[in-house]
Amino acid sequence: MTPALSLAGLSKSFGSKRAVDNLTLDVRRGCMFAMVGPNGAGKTTTLSMATGLLRPDAGTAMVLDHDVWRNPPAAKALMGVLLDGLRLFDRLSGSELLRYVGLLRQVPPEDIASRSDELFDALSLREAADTLVVEYSAGMTKKIGLACALIHAPRLLILDEPFESIDPVSGEAIRSILRNYARAGGTVVMSSHVMELVESLCDELAVVAKGRVLTAGTLDQVRAGSTLQQRFLELVGFRAAGEEALSWLRSSSASS
Amino acid sequence: MVALLVRLKLTLLRNSLRRSIWRTVGLIIGMVYGLAVVLMAIAGLIALRFTSASLTADVTVLTFSLLTLGWLLVSLLVFGIDETVDPSKFALLPVRARQLLPGLILAGLIGIPGVATVLISAGLVVSWARTLPLTLAALIAIPLGVSTCFLLSRTATSAFASFLASRRFRDLAVVLLALIGAGLAIGGNLIGSLAERGLFEVRAVLSNIARVAGWTPFGWAWSIPADVARGQWLVAGTHLLLASSLVLFLWLAWEHFLGARLVEPIAGGKGSTKVGKGGLVDRVLPATAAGSIASRALRYWRRDPRYLGGLAGFLIAPIVIIVSQLLNPSVGGSLAMLAPALTAALIGMIVAQDLSYDGTAIWLHITTGIRGRDDRLGRVLGVLVVFGSLVVILIAVAAALVGRWDMLIMVSGLTAGLMLTGLGVGALIGSLWQWPAPQPGANPFQSSSSGGLPALLSLSASTLGTLIASLPVIIPAVLWIWWPGSAI
Repeated sequence: MTPALSLAGLSKSFGSKRAVDNLTLDVRRGCMFAMVGPNGAGKTTTLSMATGLLRPDAGTAMVLDHDVWRNPPAAKALMGVLLDGLRLFDRLSGSELLRYVGLLRQVPPEDIASRSDELFDALSLREAADTLVVEYSAGMTKKIGLACALIHAPRLLILDEPFESIDPVSGEAIRSILRNYARAGGTVVMSSHVMELVESLCDELAVVAKGRVLTAGTLDQVRAGSTLQQRFLELVGFRAAGEEALSWLRSSSASS
Repeated sequence: MVALLVRLKLTLLRNSLRRSIWRTVGLIIGMVYGLAVVLMAIAGLIALRFTSASLTADVTVLTFSLLTLGWLLVSLLVFGIDETVDPSKFALLPVRARQLLPGLILAGLIGIPGVATVLISAGLVVSWARTLPLTLAALIAIPLGVSTCFLLSRTATSAFASFLASRRFRDLAVVLLALIGAGLAIGGNLIGSLAERGLFEVRAVLSNIARVAGWTPFGWAWSIPADVARGQWLVAGTHLLLASSLVLFLWLAWEHFLGARLVEPIAGGKGSTKVGKGGLVDRVLPATAAGSIASRALRYWRRDPRYLGGLAGFLIAPIVIIVSQLLNPSVGGSLAMLAPALTAALIGMIVAQDLSYDGTAIWLHITTGIRGRDDRLGRVLGVLVVFGSLVVILIAVAAALVGRWDMLIMVSGLTAGLMLTGLGVGALIGSLWQWPAPQPGANPFQSSSSGGLPALLSLSASTLGTLIASLPVIIPAVLWIWWPGSAI
């Protein structure tokens, strides 16, 4: 069976900085896949190239056998995307935005209406459906973004930091949506910083640093008997600062 | 704090020049222009040194009043203001508006218009350094005048920005903005027609206008040395008092707006704005990708201050032309009838800037994989609904006011031709070229540090393109107007 997402030799440089360096990765269908890595590892750049937002310098990105950069409409029709740090059309209300994205995705209007209703209930956004998105909190904005990614029933979900600034209650709602989605045969690729979240939610993961895949596999393969947190820190080569670091912080709290 | 803010501005400026070649190009072009203007102005001010005191008084009061007025108009209607040092970024720091204000003024003056204004005003000392009291008066007038220029533009843009952002006042603010622009332009026209009356009277007219200008808020500060030169000490004192009160008032007003932004940096973050469900817009426009883009555009024309501000700018030219014609009926009204066509010729710009105004939100269009033609078609459709109806109203109003119904068919054809061509040219230019526009929710009067150059270039390119592509429509219209025997 062809993988849901297949990245081969992806590279991207910004000036002299190699953000993504010959990155190769396969995600099998029906999998909850996490991409973890420190800040600046190239996660967002990789996901941007996989979703057709950023043209790679080299390499290919295939979504269920469709090349994202050779045949963009076919590949994009299969993907639902939520990216971090980009604006939405935030002068629309939540339901207007959802209808907008649905129509851009050529979902029939009556399906948009019924799916919007279910999504607003599932994400507990019902109250805010007619409020302008610009007035949403960070967590609510994340949730409406997720709803926009789901409205056309995609085969592959690509989510950049989907749990950032989400409260625990909404977080649980999103987890159950994603679990059901994967159980029904959908594939989720997400990036995250939070190891506990990845351990509890995902089946497989890749550790990325400096634009390369350090290791990839099932949760148990990557953990190799240790905790994910510990293993991650070993892989990216973290060394904790000594006792004396930032000592002025202690003295300032004592003196004031 | 002052030195800190000035250093911050210089660092930000340097870093932005490093990041973008456009900004460097813009800055260099601006500097060349600015330098030329400054050199000419200072040469003129030095030349005035050798003329009579009364001529110096009239010329300086009039030109410097116009300079002050220019600051207001340009920042409100053309270029916006330079907010490289964005006050709302200080919201988290333990500072008061009062502490920031002096530094923000100095930092705001660092830039081509600010430096040019300071240099030109400094030239005033040369013109007036004839006696000790005159020199002193000039030295007092210059800082007052420069502060008026700067504070006027900041206070006015802050006030209009908050009006445009509020649901209650936004429509009023659009109309007010258009009327201010139109009123000032019509006033300028009247002065121009007065000056046409004859060269003999020019000197007397100049003197009268200068006197009037000196009593407008734009001329209060600049009149102080002129009054002293005439020996009118009481008038000089009055002008000094008025000018200082104005600066104080503007200072306090700006402090008020600044304080508001420090507490609530995010515009419209009230969390309570509900909008109507399934509006008229959705029912009228087709439920397709292009139709939904058009309906999104229509909502933005109502909800986004940046679009509302642009609409005000578009109303100015036709209002000016029509009103000037009514005041001066001898021309016969043909010009007023052509005002809608002028508006139509500028429409390409609106389509051309649309993608830039989306900012990063455009990722939604890209990841959905819609066809490029749907994107273009939707945006054109949105502009067509707004400006098509505006132009129809303008044609009807112009025809009703000047009574030239015989020109109706020609003007309608010309306007339709220009508008449709403009939409096409704008769609092409907008897809080829985007620039960093003010972000949604940002101060709509904010300009990038390139001084609005890309926006101006895009306006010129789309207007020029529209005019060239519309020649098959324009030539018959011109022939119709100037054909021997046609009664115009």
